[in-house]
Amino acid sequence: MANEFLEPITEQTFYLNMGPQHPSTHGVLRLFLKLDGEYIVEADPIIGYGHRGHEKMAESHLYEQFLPNTSRMDYLAGLILNHGYVAAVEKMVGIEVPPRAEYIRVICAELNRISSHLLWFGTYVMDLGGFTPFLYSFDDRENILDILDRVSGSRLTYSYCRFGGVARDVDDEFITATQQFVERLRSRWDDYHNLVTKNVIFIHRAKDVGVINRELAMRFGCTGPILRAAGVPYDVRKAEPYSVYSELDFEIPTGSKGDALDRYIVRLQEMEQSLRIIEQALERLPDGAIKAAVPHKVRPPRGDYYFAVESARGAVGFYIVSDGTSYPYRLKARVPSYGNLQVLTEVLPGTLVADTISILGSIDIVVPEVDR
Amino acid sequence: MIKDIVEGGWSLIAGMWVTIRRIYRPVVTVQYPRKYLEMSPAYRGHIEFAQFPETGSHNCVACGTCMRFCPTNVIKVQGEKTHTHSEKRASLYFIDFSHCSLCGLCVANCPTQTLKFSGEYDLAHYSRWDGVVDLIQRLEESA
Repeated sequence: MANEFLEPITEQTFYLNMGPQHPSTHGVLRLFLKLDGEYIVEADPIIGYGHRGHEKMAESHLYEQFLPNTSRMDYLAGLILNHGYVAAVEKMVGIEVPPRAEYIRVICAELNRISSHLLWFGTYVMDLGGFTPFLYSFDDRENILDILDRVSGSRLTYSYCRFGGVARDVDDEFITATQQFVERLRSRWDDYHNLVTKNVIFIHRAKDVGVINRELAMRFGCTGPILRAAGVPYDVRKAEPYSVYSELDFEIPTGSKGDALDRYIVRLQEMEQSLRIIEQALERLPDGAIKAAVPHKVRPPRGDYYFAVESARGAVGFYIVSDGTSYPYRLKARVPSYGNLQVLTEVLPGTLVADTISILGSIDIVVPEVDR
Repeated sequence: MIKDIVEGGWSLIAGMWVTIRRIYRPVVTVQYPRKYLEMSPAYRGHIEFAQFPETGSHNCVACGTCMRFCPTNVIKVQGEKTHTHSEKRASLYFIDFSHCSLCGLCVANCPTQTLKFSGEYDLAHYSRWDGVVDLIQRLEESA
């Protein structure tokens, strides 16, 4: 694509580099746009600026040592990726996790999902020009971070899940704080809807913008809210339930058209469903151990293993090949943002430059997760 | 057309009303340099030695488990024996905090539970050597 600089440029067409340093690309993403006036003719997302070689790093690290890397891939839903990796290794070694640990993991993962969606909500509306909702959603998100900080000791890169359980037990204060947060967020929906969802400017900038229909989403391997907004009720938590999700009652919100507004509504509804999951899990939280006995040296038997979880952005899978030593032979992380980003090449042509911001924001990519 | 204008205008007023109500609610931010928040008990600062009341000192036997488990090799520990049959005891314990990712694997895997997290959070430094912490010296100073 970079060679196209050499192509003769007509009077009307010109190239625009959006990023890598652009406030609304949420990281170091470079969008190479070929423009015809104000319309996009071609779009090419150029990635790799944030490549740190996590997958290669895994090969020289012990299974335990790779744990902090997982939350640094997707820093907004770090706990869910922790959960995915830990569960993958538990599947390899055959560790039975105590039920209390599973419930704590689910509660924390759902809190993390809400915090990720709240951050997306704030930044997306800020991309579209509304600064106030950003402050309100960060106020709510701060509550979640405080709750998770109290239990895991960290605000963003948690490393909270451990092989066979979790790092630290939760106390009564955690439970009451979480219940208070659930009530608090429920009381905030009206404000959010009045401020954003019903706002005429927001609707005009999101409705019928960036339509990713069912076929397109499935062709590019999109998962998460993008796929669900296109009307496909696919969620790893329902499709292949892991942890204790099969015991909990929740729904998968879906959209119909697959435009930016649908994705927005799906994410808001997902937060409501997450609140439901948290409430049920808190009610059922059993007593008991929080960590199973784990061999001092984790040495999975030879073979390849795959485990998928549903992160805030879609299906996250860890594919690990073991050669019987305490180092992974190969680790491949399937991340949702990668597929979700590639769909831009199909969606952006024919839209306005101003809509690019709206489409990119509504897809909710985390660039370090794409680059890994 | 007029219906759209009225509905759109009303949505803007409804949004503005949310903001106006918020003006008269208490401020949620803490003015940091003037006020400090209390760190949570689980907060993960850099590691430090726990002091055991029985011995009045740390309990590090310099086994090197923390050194082996550390993903970024920030820990350096050496031990020595006072005489041939005595137990090994740490004589040197350094961490380079500037590379630490605060995963807590050292604390989780310490066989004598002598490692714990400190509550330090204002850890910006002028030199990269300021990130190096001597845990034994730190314990002596705190005692």
